[in-house]
Amino acid sequence: MPVDNRRITVPENTTCYNLFTKSKSFKNRCEHFINTSGKRPDGRKAEEHRKIFLQMNVVTQAKGSAYIEVGKTKVIVSVFDPRGIPNNSDYKQNGELYCEFKYAPFSCTKRRLHQQDSEEKQKSLIMKRSLESAVCRHEFPNFQVDIYALVLENDGSTLSAAITAAGIALAQAGIPMYDIITAAEFGYQDGTYVLDPTSQEERICSVTMQENNDSANEFKPQGIIILSMLLTHQQVSGFHANGNLRLSDVNNSFDVISRATADIANLVKKNLVKQVIKNVQENAIKK
Amino acid sequence: MKIQVRLATQRVDPSVAINYRSPKIFTPGEVITVQDEFMRGHGTYEEDGYLKSSVAGVKQQVNKLISVRPLKSRYNGEIGDVVVGRITEVQQKRWKVDTNSRLDSVLLLSSVNLPGGELRRRCAEDEHMMREYLQEGDLISAEVQNVHSDGSLSLHTRSLKYGKLSQGVLVKVFPSLIKRSKTHFHNLPVGISIILGNNGFIWICPPINNEEDNVGGFVQNLEEVIPRTERETIGRLRNCILALAQSKMLLYDTSILYAFEESLKYSVSELLIPESMVDVAMSTQHRINMLEND
Amino acid sequence: MSLCEAEKTFILHGVEENFRIDGREREDYRPMEVEIGIISHAFGSARLRLANTDVLVAVKIEVDTPYPEKPSQGKLDFFVDCSANATPDFEGRGGEDLATGISNSLSDAYRSSKAFDLKKLCIMKGQKCWKLLVDILLLECGGNLYDAVSLAVKAALWNTRVPGVKSVGIDGKNVELNVSERLNDCVPLDVSGAPVMVTVCKIGEYCVVDPSAAEEKCSSAALVVAVSQGNITTVLQGSAGSLHPTTLMDSLGLGVEVANQLNIALMETLQSAPPHFDVGFLK
Repeated sequence: MPVDNRRITVPENTTCYNLFTKSKSFKNRCEHFINTSGKRPDGRKAEEHRKIFLQMNVVTQAKGSAYIEVGKTKVIVSVFDPRGIPNNSDYKQNGELYCEFKYAPFSCTKRRLHQQDSEEKQKSLIMKRSLESAVCRHEFPNFQVDIYALVLENDGSTLSAAITAAGIALAQAGIPMYDIITAAEFGYQDGTYVLDPTSQEERICSVTMQENNDSANEFKPQGIIILSMLLTHQQVSGFHANGNLRLSDVNNSFDVISRATADIANLVKKNLVKQVIKNVQENAIKK
Repeated sequence: MKIQVRLATQRVDPSVAINYRSPKIFTPGEVITVQDEFMRGHGTYEEDGYLKSSVAGVKQQVNKLISVRPLKSRYNGEIGDVVVGRITEVQQKRWKVDTNSRLDSVLLLSSVNLPGGELRRRCAEDEHMMREYLQEGDLISAEVQNVHSDGSLSLHTRSLKYGKLSQGVLVKVFPSLIKRSKTHFHNLPVGISIILGNNGFIWICPPINNEEDNVGGFVQNLEEVIPRTERETIGRLRNCILALAQSKMLLYDTSILYAFEESLKYSVSELLIPESMVDVAMSTQHRINMLEND
Repeated sequence: MSLCEAEKTFILHGVEENFRIDGREREDYRPMEVEIGIISHAFGSARLRLANTDVLVAVKIEVDTPYPEKPSQGKLDFFVDCSANATPDFEGRGGEDLATGISNSLSDAYRSSKAFDLKKLCIMKGQKCWKLLVDILLLECGGNLYDAVSLAVKAALWNTRVPGVKSVGIDGKNVELNVSERLNDCVPLDVSGAPVMVTVCKIGEYCVVDPSAAEEKCSSAALVVAVSQGNITTVLQGSAGSLHPTTLMDSLGLGVEVANQLNIALMETLQSAPPHFDVGFLK
């Protein structure tokens, strides 16, 4: 791996102290996943999304920017002006998007390095694929738009928050778009599902557990699905699933997630309109 | 749902040469003959009074001119050749065309027939309209007008039979597999037209109607749906040509037609299986041999 | 490679007719060829050729210490090398994005313990484990990379033999490992759950599998579905483009169905392979 020698790095071979504390066993934690009254540890119902806070124009230097809070998850996304694609001589009919998804070093329980690791690269790619079909790329041929997403605090569902925020930032930057894009995340473990999982729930959903009976090769279905939707066009612009899911699980979960994206889309619309009104009023006062 | 996973041990040898003596193959640097009485042609060089080969290939001798023709090469254009090419770039007053030769070929705005007749004057507006006529990615058939000293070709489409190609399939083979003949445009009796470009690009398309409709050849009919029977014939021809090319057999109207007839015992998708490809090539070779012996 | 509108239209109508340009139906694969055990220095290897796509996979095994978070699991890493031999576009850093895309999708697909049980690679909890390094070399690119790569990886893992461990002991701080040198002691890996990926391309209103390079150019969206024993382990988007929800579900269904068939076909072929044969790269 290339080393960035302008930075002072921490020793690589450190381990998080949490491993040495006596935590509850995994089984125990799973049982508390959803308690008998159908409530999750933070008091939400299974199909309940966390409260969202949105703010635009947080980075003054960027063309468009958005800040999103979903529960404790905090993400800043900034979008910059289109510029010529570097190191490219061919004519490209469609403009390009460049996405960078990054966890701040202090955002997770384990410290993140400054360099993008493979998980972050993968998430950047998913983000790029999802946003590509929302942007009218043919309107800026041979140009690329840079989108940077920085996670300040990770409490699960970071990627969907980043995609939603990127959609707002793009709209706010005046990049032509077909539709508003919103995303939601969905976790599934052994018959119970949760919308908008926290990082704790994400961890539980990403472990495959064996069935209790004798056959060793039977595993319980589990997984995480990220979906981004263009609401008015009723199009899925991004779909990413991970884990061990039956086709029927995916089918059943789809309605729940798409409903969540629709709810978020309404919120986003309201905010964008509010922002425009605010701008108009400010201009009026100046005059 | 057809899925076939084969083992490498089941690989078949595509060669169809039976009792056939292969000619001597020269390798680069090999002495061909003493220089004295011979002339140096393509693929050869002269050193210490000897004529040596500069490519791997077979010797060709025309009177005193000795040249070595490489087994596998890009297309070396000659004036009058029919080629099929793809537009790669639109420039000032010219198009760049990929014709499988070493350098991109050039099609000048002045060497195409613009819609509205041959005697039409070319004006500045035409220059702005160039992308309307031909844009990047479009396929054309053309004739080689001139070969420049660096080997690049300039093309022309000043005949109604040349121009932009509409719906159909492009197959790419080695240029050396195309047999030179009087005409490279064939309306096969199976109801399909085929253009055997000298550059190894073969265009298979539904029959081209009488040439009157073909005004300058800048129209593509995107609405027309090719009927199923024609589509099957096109697919079969495509797979037959690939089968012949895999067995390194010369491609011309008769060989393609024979292969087509021999292939009828297979379904079109079965022609993707190596065994049936070799079988078709074998039977075609057999029929050609019979024809030659008669 | 670029295509003109008329060629695209021809392909599109062909897909609608369920008769593609090479005569295949929408759910047909081109014949592919697989060969195992061709790299002598690797613990397992495979080469897969699907039309013009050619993939070579070799598995190396090393002894390593497990991650502190997962003390009882071995390690499995994928490395994709887009050789400039395949196309000049890969020269320099050209193939890097494609390479990380493929290797990430593979590690996602193999993450679930249903797909591949890493616990079997543990030698001694918290101390020693096997690390499988799967190197994937793209020798030629002719479309449908994900499918070809996943099949080649599965074949290579099927071919892999893990050295047998005679005894493990702890001497003070050091772990003493005694590994058998005899070939007979080697253990094959269990790859029954190793995922198979299927790229489902949407062309016009229909979905096709195993797209050729030209068909990939015509597709409006592509979905890669990794399937392990009938269950979906990973879904990702192969290219930019959006889908209607019903199309999405249909193509997932199609992907699962095709992947199951593909898995059966591959396993049958691998089981019929004679133990020692060498064909090599002659083609």
